[in-house]
Amino acid sequence: MAYKDFRDFLATLEKEGQLLTIKDEVKPEPDIAAATKAMSKLGSETPAMLFDNIYGYTNAKVAMNVMGSWPNHALMMGMPKNTPLKEQFFEFARRYDQFPMPVQREETAPFHEVEITENINLFDILPLFRLNQGDGGFYIDKACVISRDLDDPEHFGKQNVGIYRMQVKGKDRLGIQPVPQHDIAIHLRQAEERGENLPVVIALGNEPAITTAAATPLHYDQSEYEMAGAIQGEPYRIVKAKDSDLDIPWGAEVVLEGELLAGVREFEGPFGEFTGHYSGGRSMPVIKINRVYHRQNPIFEHLYIGMPWTETDYMIGINTSVPLYQQLKEAFPNEIQAVNAMYTHGLVAIISTKRRYGGFAKAVGMRALTTPHGLGYCKLVIVVDEDVDPFNLPQVMWALSTKMHPKHDAVIIPDLSVLALDPGSLPSGITHKMVLDATTPVAPETRGHYSQPLDSPLNVEKWEQRLRELLR
Amino acid sequence: MHTCPRCESKKAEVVSKSPVEGAWEVYMCPVCIFTWRSIEPETITKPEKYNRAFKVNPADIPFAENVPALPAKYIK
Repeated sequence: MAYKDFRDFLATLEKEGQLLTIKDEVKPEPDIAAATKAMSKLGSETPAMLFDNIYGYTNAKVAMNVMGSWPNHALMMGMPKNTPLKEQFFEFARRYDQFPMPVQREETAPFHEVEITENINLFDILPLFRLNQGDGGFYIDKACVISRDLDDPEHFGKQNVGIYRMQVKGKDRLGIQPVPQHDIAIHLRQAEERGENLPVVIALGNEPAITTAAATPLHYDQSEYEMAGAIQGEPYRIVKAKDSDLDIPWGAEVVLEGELLAGVREFEGPFGEFTGHYSGGRSMPVIKINRVYHRQNPIFEHLYIGMPWTETDYMIGINTSVPLYQQLKEAFPNEIQAVNAMYTHGLVAIISTKRRYGGFAKAVGMRALTTPHGLGYCKLVIVVDEDVDPFNLPQVMWALSTKMHPKHDAVIIPDLSVLALDPGSLPSGITHKMVLDATTPVAPETRGHYSQPLDSPLNVEKWEQRLRELLR
Repeated sequence: MHTCPRCESKKAEVVSKSPVEGAWEVYMCPVCIFTWRSIEPETITKPEKYNRAFKVNPADIPFAENVPALPAKYIK
């Protein structure tokens, strides 16, 4: 079911009625970002958008909101577009278990069609534009950034493919935000300790399996390419870079090769972030671009990010929840039922679990804090019983309203790590975290009047099925 | 040279012109790295109308926090 490249996925979206082409002329600002934000407000089943008539350009094409809905996420996995969210979660978890899927290496790729090594000007090559009014410039925020571990360069799994925000800061210069909890920060640290620049490749406009894998919080030595293969059920195709040993997604529209400059920090931002707040201006690393390749008439895929929910939240909802689910199951294989870490990239997470004895649910909540993603997120972990669906927020609210006793069930752990973008962290990157145990107390924790849970009238399930058929 | 709407330096330069001649230009300020297009709303392009909360004082730039932190050998 693998999509060959970005265009192949767009063609499927179009066939399924999930791609809207805007033929009327739009201005780069504020129209493209405004239309995309407006699309996100129309619900959770919206189409992708393709803008092909942009004022001042002759043949620019900009794709937005490509994975900005649950139908588009289902199509990413080759499932019917009306697949319910919880079913997408369990299917993603099943494919996650197929990791690693070996890669398929290629010698050439469509992006080799056009190559630029002199007088590079990113402002001319890409139809860049501002997303939010307070942004310090034009950004690239949905590209795969690839780098290797300098101390273990032969380790394929330690090669990282991640998505980081990048500000275009000159004709051949990008600013990048390597969050300290993320893998590229490890590579940058190695390079800076050696006093060497870090080779990087940036691939824009990819088919969605690698974008999904790149945005999944895998363990450090797990390959995003081998996870993309597992997600799409076929080996993922890669091709070598020319200036380094890095591997590149074969189907990319545009590829930038360059190096992260050791020891350089430069003013960057602000940028409207997924937290619904601007990041503020900070000094961040810089990438110098040495080589550009692209397909003829490339499509520029971009992502509007801002006050949730936007495409980001659909893109990183399930693939954040599933690793937490799998990593918790490694510790508690018989108890963990499902994890919903879809809120602000998992700053809030909801875990459904069985309990073996009193206090067990709190231990589950604490374990979530020490997973790779939990180190930077999971500021609030809500633990619910196994019969509460964590994707059904009214059920979660019911559990909080009736099962949680603030004296016993609210646990605060002081001064833990969190991503610096959390606007409430103080100092930036440090926060207290909280586990709310909304499970039913079990022995030896005997308290409350929980011996008479409400059952349903007989035959409700039979009626439910009958009514569904009648309502069809 | 153009005036940066954000930090008001006079050093901003053209970095790109529209493929359709005369539609717009893109400018970049080398001091605060602000980037803007000539046809954006005046709240972006005009120094006096730029959102005050997002203005940058060039004197503050050297004190911006390093993210991630620099290894000790690079700190002067």
